[in-house]
Amino acid sequence: MENQRNRPSPSKFWTWFNPIGRETGGWAFILNRVTALGLVFYLYIHLLVLSQLAMGPQAYDNFLALMSNPMIIFGEVLVVAAGIIHGLNGIRIVLTTFGVGVTRQKQLFYGLMAVALIAAFVFAFRMFTA
Amino acid sequence: MSENWNITLKVSRQKEGEKPHFDEFKIEVDPDEYVLDAVERVWAFMDRTVCFRHACHHSTCGACGMRVNNVEKLTCITYIRDVTHDGGVLKLEPLRNFPIISDLAVDMGSLYNRLETVGVRAILPAPEAEIENPPATWDSADQQYIRLADCIECGLCISACPSAATSSEYLGPAVLAGVQANGIKGNPEMLNIVDAEDGVWRCHSAFECTAVCPSYVDPARRIMNLRTQVIKERFTRLFHKA
Amino acid sequence: MTQTTAFPSVSAPKSGENTWLWLLKIITGPLLVILLAIHFIVNHYISETGLLTYSEVVAYYQNPIIPIMEILFLASVVTHSLSGLRGIILDLKPARHVLKILDWVLVIFGVSAVVYGVWLALTIASKGV
Repeated sequence: MENQRNRPSPSKFWTWFNPIGRETGGWAFILNRVTALGLVFYLYIHLLVLSQLAMGPQAYDNFLALMSNPMIIFGEVLVVAAGIIHGLNGIRIVLTTFGVGVTRQKQLFYGLMAVALIAAFVFAFRMFTA
Repeated sequence: MSENWNITLKVSRQKEGEKPHFDEFKIEVDPDEYVLDAVERVWAFMDRTVCFRHACHHSTCGACGMRVNNVEKLTCITYIRDVTHDGGVLKLEPLRNFPIISDLAVDMGSLYNRLETVGVRAILPAPEAEIENPPATWDSADQQYIRLADCIECGLCISACPSAATSSEYLGPAVLAGVQANGIKGNPEMLNIVDAEDGVWRCHSAFECTAVCPSYVDPARRIMNLRTQVIKERFTRLFHKA
Repeated sequence: MTQTTAFPSVSAPKSGENTWLWLLKIITGPLLVILLAIHFIVNHYISETGLLTYSEVVAYYQNPIIPIMEILFLASVVTHSLSGLRGIILDLKPARHVLKILDWVLVIFGVSAVVYGVWLALTIASKGV
């Protein structure tokens, strides 16, 4: 009689990322989780590629030449944006956990994301004009 | 009086042994009626096999929770004009994260069991009830007054919670909010239950529960406060043991 | 107050996560915001060409505060990222024995990452001696 389809299940993890029907806090949750996973991915690759440094001047300078590809630079802008978004959202989580800003968590989110957007654009501008 | 609208009700159907699907019903409604009225009319005049739950029709019993156009709503207090337009569609689905009994009715047993197990109170003494504009001090005559707790146990919060989607053992917003109202200080046996994997740490601050709660419980604020209570209690115990 | 009987719907609380683990996440978090800002600004705005040549990196690492800052940053970010990942995995309700293995994998991976980072920092610093 019971229907298995509507039960909670780990296989429903994709619903975490579904924004339909969600409000501000739900978008914050999605953003935080997406940026978290993206940053984890970036972090360990970053650590790995830095080993090029230990291979001597030729290897590192070659590697950096590779990294000046505009696609890569765009990717780096995304990483910086992800870092800022995740960091500021994390601040929101710390604040609300200790009771600060709970009744205004939506405004808090909008304000912080506005900062994140501006910072991301500033960074992108500097990256592409340097 | 407003003119009548012609809308389509898209009702999720799920009977044992049948494939789940949507049935469409075209009906005429007064937009100032509630979504629940429309569902009842479909049941009464068009298809007696539509199964849904309802009782008080005034947001006290918590029976009529459903997803209306992808958002959790208490259908007895949701005006049709707030969720659709003339010629529009009203998609009705059962609450998420509860097993479906039939069509729009879900099995709320796990929620009720948990609320009872953790000792959530339905009636609170007035000084504990978080009323608006409480007196600065309660005198002894005031202690006699009691108030129904805000939570009507409708389950909308659990349906909306992203953590509840993947974890059937997560206590969930309603239960945690209830524990918060009782307080950890007065109920230390609750500490190990909420300071756990399936307790407060499964909450990721999505605030979806508060967004859909029809009864001003504000479960997200309560979970945040419960976390503060838990942290305080853990630190207190740490320093008292040492 | 009603007593808490062993109801099947409130399963015996699992100790896979608790206040202290969460506090680890919430303390490394803001710490990271600061350390990341330092790491980023110092690496790309204070150094001359933004550390885009090998010789500049080596010269930069001669100042002992740099490897110290970087290692602190690495330890924080590894702790925060792996405990965060673990939190996400806990949302998926892993079985107890799976969780035990996962915990070991995370610890070993995290410690290795930090050890690798310390080795790398010291190697670079030594190249300029």
